[in-house]
Amino acid sequence: MTISAERPTETAAGTAAPAGPRRVSWTNRPGWMSQHLGTALVLAFLGYLLGHWWGNHIAGNYHYINGASGQNSVADFLALLLMVVGWLVGIGALNYPIAKLFGREAVEEAPAKGMSRYFRYTLDHKVVGMQYVVGTLLFLFTGGLLAMAIRTELLNPTVHIFNPGTYIEIVSEHGTIMMMMATSVVVGPLGNYLVPLMIGSRRMAFPRIEAFSFWIFSAGYMVIFSALFYGGFPTGWTGYAPLQNQAGPGMISYLFGFAVIGMGMIAAGFNIAVTIINYRAPGMTWSRVPMFVWSILATASLLTLATPVLFSAGLFGILDHVVLTSLYVNEHGGSSYLWENLFWFFGHPEVYIMALPGFGIVAEIVPVFTRKPLFAYKVAAAGMMGVALLSFFVWQHHLFQSGINPDMRPLFMLTTELISIPTGFIYLVGMGSLYKSKMRLEIPMLFSLALYFNFLIGGITGVFLSDVPVNVTVHGSFFVLSHFHYTIMGGLIFAFMAGLYYWLPKMTGYMMNKKLGLWHFWTMFIFFNMTFFPMFIIGLLGQPRRVFEYAHGLQGLNDFSSISAFCLGASFLLFFWNLMYSMIINPKKAPANPWDSLGLEWQTANPVPLYNFERIPVIVTEPYRYSEPGAPAYADFGGGGSDGGSSGAVGSSVEE
Amino acid sequence: MTDTYKDSTAPNATPEEREFEFRSHIGSIWTGGRLAIGVATFMYASLAFAYFYLRSSNNSHLWRIPGQLAPLYYGWTILICMLVMAGLGMYGHSRLRKGFTNDFQVAGWTGVAAGLIALFFQIWELVVLPFYPGSSGYASTFVAFVVMNIMTIVFATYWLETAVARSLRLRKELGGTRPELSSAHTARSFRANVSSMSYYLGYVGIISIGFFLMFYVQ
Amino acid sequence: MNNEPRHMRRIVTAWVIASVIGDLLWWFLVGPHIPPGNMTESAHWNQFDFNVLAVTAIPVVFMVWLWMGYALVNWRDKPGVPDPVGGEAAKAPYRVQAAWISITSIVVIAAAIYGTVALIGDHGSGGGEGPNPVWAPEGAVAANTAAIQGKATWSPAGHQPLVVQVIAQQWKFTYRYPAFGGMETSRLILPVGTDVVFDVTSLDVIHDFWAYQLSVKADANPGVNNVAFADTHQTGQFMVRCDELCGIWHGAMYNSGRILSKTAFMAWATKTEAQNASNTKYLPPFAWTYTPDANGASGGLYPDGNVTPYSPYDTYGAKQPAS
Repeated sequence: MTISAERPTETAAGTAAPAGPRRVSWTNRPGWMSQHLGTALVLAFLGYLLGHWWGNHIAGNYHYINGASGQNSVADFLALLLMVVGWLVGIGALNYPIAKLFGREAVEEAPAKGMSRYFRYTLDHKVVGMQYVVGTLLFLFTGGLLAMAIRTELLNPTVHIFNPGTYIEIVSEHGTIMMMMATSVVVGPLGNYLVPLMIGSRRMAFPRIEAFSFWIFSAGYMVIFSALFYGGFPTGWTGYAPLQNQAGPGMISYLFGFAVIGMGMIAAGFNIAVTIINYRAPGMTWSRVPMFVWSILATASLLTLATPVLFSAGLFGILDHVVLTSLYVNEHGGSSYLWENLFWFFGHPEVYIMALPGFGIVAEIVPVFTRKPLFAYKVAAAGMMGVALLSFFVWQHHLFQSGINPDMRPLFMLTTELISIPTGFIYLVGMGSLYKSKMRLEIPMLFSLALYFNFLIGGITGVFLSDVPVNVTVHGSFFVLSHFHYTIMGGLIFAFMAGLYYWLPKMTGYMMNKKLGLWHFWTMFIFFNMTFFPMFIIGLLGQPRRVFEYAHGLQGLNDFSSISAFCLGASFLLFFWNLMYSMIINPKKAPANPWDSLGLEWQTANPVPLYNFERIPVIVTEPYRYSEPGAPAYADFGGGGSDGGSSGAVGSSVEE
Repeated sequence: MTDTYKDSTAPNATPEEREFEFRSHIGSIWTGGRLAIGVATFMYASLAFAYFYLRSSNNSHLWRIPGQLAPLYYGWTILICMLVMAGLGMYGHSRLRKGFTNDFQVAGWTGVAAGLIALFFQIWELVVLPFYPGSSGYASTFVAFVVMNIMTIVFATYWLETAVARSLRLRKELGGTRPELSSAHTARSFRANVSSMSYYLGYVGIISIGFFLMFYVQ
Repeated sequence: MNNEPRHMRRIVTAWVIASVIGDLLWWFLVGPHIPPGNMTESAHWNQFDFNVLAVTAIPVVFMVWLWMGYALVNWRDKPGVPDPVGGEAAKAPYRVQAAWISITSIVVIAAAIYGTVALIGDHGSGGGEGPNPVWAPEGAVAANTAAIQGKATWSPAGHQPLVVQVIAQQWKFTYRYPAFGGMETSRLILPVGTDVVFDVTSLDVIHDFWAYQLSVKADANPGVNNVAFADTHQTGQFMVRCDELCGIWHGAMYNSGRILSKTAFMAWATKTEAQNASNTKYLPPFAWTYTPDANGASGGLYPDGNVTPYSPYDTYGAKQPAS
């Protein structure tokens, strides 16, 4: 009995052994027969029809399912389910799982070239990142348009543009689409694109799960968008239960949409967490991991562990609608509180899923533009992990007035306020980094500073909300609405913009136009604050959320807010114009390292080759050793395989 | 869990780099397996939460209509089949580590068969339920449990089946060398996968006992 | 290094001055106008609470803003600014980190303790406390129990708490006064100088009873009794809004209420009770539902009779206070 010889060549042969005709995937087959976005759309459409027919076939005669509305929930659900399945089959997501049933492993394939790979089930994390950029911007744009509609309706307290049903439909779709977008807006595009580059890896741990996460995320867009054609759902993004059971077929789109997006979130978080844990380059100990990667690790853990609860909650809701269980129906032994608990048990970690990546981006960007080491690195990492951990223990602060566990309110008040301690770490890090720095106010830095400005307001008002006596007045009012727009939009979206301006030169090879960028930044910053700050006052003055009629005395403030909101929308048009202009109309080639960053992602060739690194880098020191004469480069690329790490000296190559 | 290694070994990777990436790959299988248990735990925890929450609130006195119970024989059959699947998966893994691929394959195929039987009965049970889904809190959570259990059985059986199928094909790919003995990367990757799988199956076994007690024992 | 301005001293001085001014302005100019005002005891204390948090928050906000502003002015990449320090010297001083962490922790924990004291001391601060209120004004729980059993009374003399049942449905509020024969009104009228017990419930979906100026907010859950308290201080008009999305006309679900003097209230109540007597005699003085129960008109949900019979009082109120 011999142990087979350890010969590298043979191992390599074992790796690529099944050469020849045993192709597992069709994704790269040329021509219209191959699997791409087109086939996915066709199969999704066919799946939708099939599901609808099937549902009507098996349940068309059940009056208690059809109900008074004449809608058949079974058919509605099966249509959406088979639509998603068809979409996944069409894009080729199931090829590999099916091949595995026959014991096959993936075959090394020549990667697709050119634009076509962006429309396929591509396994390159950089392609998935770019797909996510487009996908999340699509979500953002849809949600933004709906927000414009909301603000239009609120221009006048009594004269209506939409009827109340349409208005609630718009509000609910806006909330849900934006929440779905916000869960993935950084982890999807920037996380997928940058994490392997920043940890010095050539790949993700599970590229197929990664590609799956994007394609099911885009399927989620179709599902939630379909609600508009079903008359929407009246529950807002929180989907509270008796109303949920009362609602029409659009509710199924909401429940199933969250379940589908949830699967995407689990898949994305799973892959990224495993990658960060296992694929760090040699020498990258936990104290040398870039801050952005820390934040994405914390986020990915939350995504992986909290989202299953959302999935279950959505599943329960679907069962209530489709097979008429009574999980959320008080009268039949269920409980509407069950939904509130499950939803918020997911919902609060979700809030930090939407905050932590923003912290990571600014912590990554600030040292570059202050030319200083990050202040208190370990505190920052501890802050992020601390927030992630604590976020599992605060969910009932959404339910202070609900009558659930009133005696637990002091406890949840305490845990909620404790979260401001690790959040405060992020401020310590940011503010400390400014001390005696040499700040360069490039666009990414401006957006980062704006995050510190906005999130401060959002965070402090969060303390007000967590205080039960004050909560009595502000709960469910425009105050809370403004609070979470300050944290999610003022925090995450500003950070996302900072990240795009900062990393797009890496991702696309072209610089964003600075002049347009400045216009974009200042309009967005000013009009964001002008839109949402008045809402604190509106809320304090007694306007509840999601209303289409309000007190006459509040019209002035509401109009101010609405008009600012239109300007804010226009600033997003500026952003899209900048994107078009800088990337397509008048592209300016970016220097290899436009911001003089020491980060690993900037040390790769541009455009990034398929396998990222010529040689796997060896990390030799801490990140962020700026302004330190004689500091070693962050990574050793083994014999000048790259341009070499830049030294710590200041030397701007940015074109002013 | 072996979704991983093949398609991106850089063409110019040095043997050292390949070994380094391979270690990361093995680590990913380990971490991924445990994380999958974490995902499943949170999912089942929300079901258990629903169960105990509805049970303790007993809204409208309808947590459970007296005498209402899911078909016990089905419950036992499913439980035993799932335990057999889990046990055989773990047993197969231990035999594989000792070098007996055939034992692993026989145990694996038997386990897959047990999983399929469990799946069949779990689905068929819905047909013979003596209550309708919305009749009580218990009935509702039971239906939710059935759906979740179907997903679990499908996933566990799938994982076991792919592992066994892989072991058969691997032998051909390795040119007759037995997968438990080869040091080829594919074989090591396969063994890591089986190891993660056996942990997961053990978890499934525990879960199935716990939820059997909750739902079938009055 | 001597030419280097003393940054910290400048910033701290500016911060102290700004914070003191900001806090004083807030406390004396803005604070008294912060909602919900002074109409009830809890409104007063919740306003006070808001202002305490505000004067705590203002220095924090000013600190960050001043720091950022100062940095933007002085520590920019422009001629004359020295290169930042790198290497060991740029490491974050341990004492700064420790100070930051301990100060934030102290502030945060103090805020939590203060909030808890305010919550308990003010009998739940007007928030919904579920079917078994944990912190209640004296005598309120007993009065509520009596009302649930249909034995409520109220008179202007003495300090008897008044029990009002708030019934929300799509899309209106109905107020039922068990002490006055279970009369129902669509406007909430209350006496001044009285502990009011609100039993908030809903007939369909989740609503939220928000009496804005009274600083009362309690979710109206179907089949659940969510109790909140208010101690009325001033007469006048107040606003009631639904604060939980309850369907398409959620935005139109509001009405107003009034606090009257005790005698005026008594006169109004007696008159209304007499007017409504012909209807109220068919209605229970207190109930969590209008829907037929399992023993009700439809003959019960289960023809096999397996549902344990129960009385109207412990139906949906399986968790009601023990009588």
